[in-house]
Amino acid sequence: MTDTRLRPDFLTELFSDALDPAYAAAAARRDRQGAAERRLSLVLRVVTLVAVGFLLAVAYRQAVAAEPESERARAGLVDEVRDRRADTDRLQTEADRLREEVARQRDAALAGSEVAQLRNLEAATGLGKVSGDGAVVRVADAPGSVDPVTGKANANLGQVHDRDLQSIVNALWESGAEAVAVNGQRLTATSTIRLAGSAILVDFRPVSSPYEITAIGPDSLARDFENSPTGRRFKRYIGAYGMGFEVKPRSDLTLPAAADPQLRYATPLHPTPTPSATGGR
Amino acid sequence: MIAVLALVAGIALGIFFEPTVPAALQPYLPIAVVAALDAVFGGIRARLDGIFDDKQFVISFISNVLVAALIVYLGDQLGVGGQLSTGVVVVLGVRIFGNVAAIRRHLFRA
Repeated sequence: MTDTRLRPDFLTELFSDALDPAYAAAAARRDRQGAAERRLSLVLRVVTLVAVGFLLAVAYRQAVAAEPESERARAGLVDEVRDRRADTDRLQTEADRLREEVARQRDAALAGSEVAQLRNLEAATGLGKVSGDGAVVRVADAPGSVDPVTGKANANLGQVHDRDLQSIVNALWESGAEAVAVNGQRLTATSTIRLAGSAILVDFRPVSSPYEITAIGPDSLARDFENSPTGRRFKRYIGAYGMGFEVKPRSDLTLPAAADPQLRYATPLHPTPTPSATGGR
Repeated sequence: MIAVLALVAGIALGIFFEPTVPAALQPYLPIAVVAALDAVFGGIRARLDGIFDDKQFVISFISNVLVAALIVYLGDQLGVGGQLSTGVVVVLGVRIFGNVAAIRRHLFRA
């Protein structure tokens, strides 16, 4: 085969004879003209093969290194999330401490009746820590089942959704609760309970199953809630979907204060002479 | 013999120097490897056929790698992504298979 031009059907030729036709052409040319200078071509060949070997080694190293790199990136992100969460917790305790100090200073500055009024308002709006008797509602996802054939997780009908928590919380308010918290997150009038993907966010902080909703209210709170339509509905869910649900009266509950609300429209009456470290809050 | 030694020397160099590939060149690496393998197997087969030619081998290696890189670059610029490189891999893969089959026939007479 001395014809170096490609035939019209390139693919057929490719399948029938994989060798570059130029080799045959070069051999034929050599036959006609005799061997060219050998030394230079040998050097070229060696250099090319060194390059090929180098390329193979580099590609191999690259392929091996690529896998752990994505792993490393993931691990780094996980670490960062953990760090940030620890930071948030630290700042939260700091904020709580400062808030307590502010409350103490204010109590010292104000007269008795005003303090009591403020305390009551704070308790009602979720801005102050409250303690008292009440009820604890525990609700948990049904244990997930896995399809024995495909190994895929089945759709879990007994999973707790945001609207489940919403209806439980609303039923608790309805039964006379004065303060409610979900997994230790105090709810205020503007709190949100929402689903983001498969996670439930309470005021933008994730909570996970089992959910413990604590409420402070009258002595009859647990009983009233259990007999409310919502309570009865969730009791049916236990049998139907395997959801975990439990209501218990409990005394000496303490609910933390909710995060400070952002003041959107309020402005200070008199500009304070001392500069505030936190700015306009 | 010299060829095998050169190949081993190249691999040793690659391992020894631990070169880091710049991020801009990384997409070209896999396709360059396939192109290089095609040149190498073509060379081995030509050698066994008794028609090996150094110049041809060097030129086929360089042009294979360059054309493969060009196609990957074009694919990136055109927004068809990996699909053009798939074409490269198919063509070069068929050639590698054909050449390896010929090499096998030479070595084992089967």
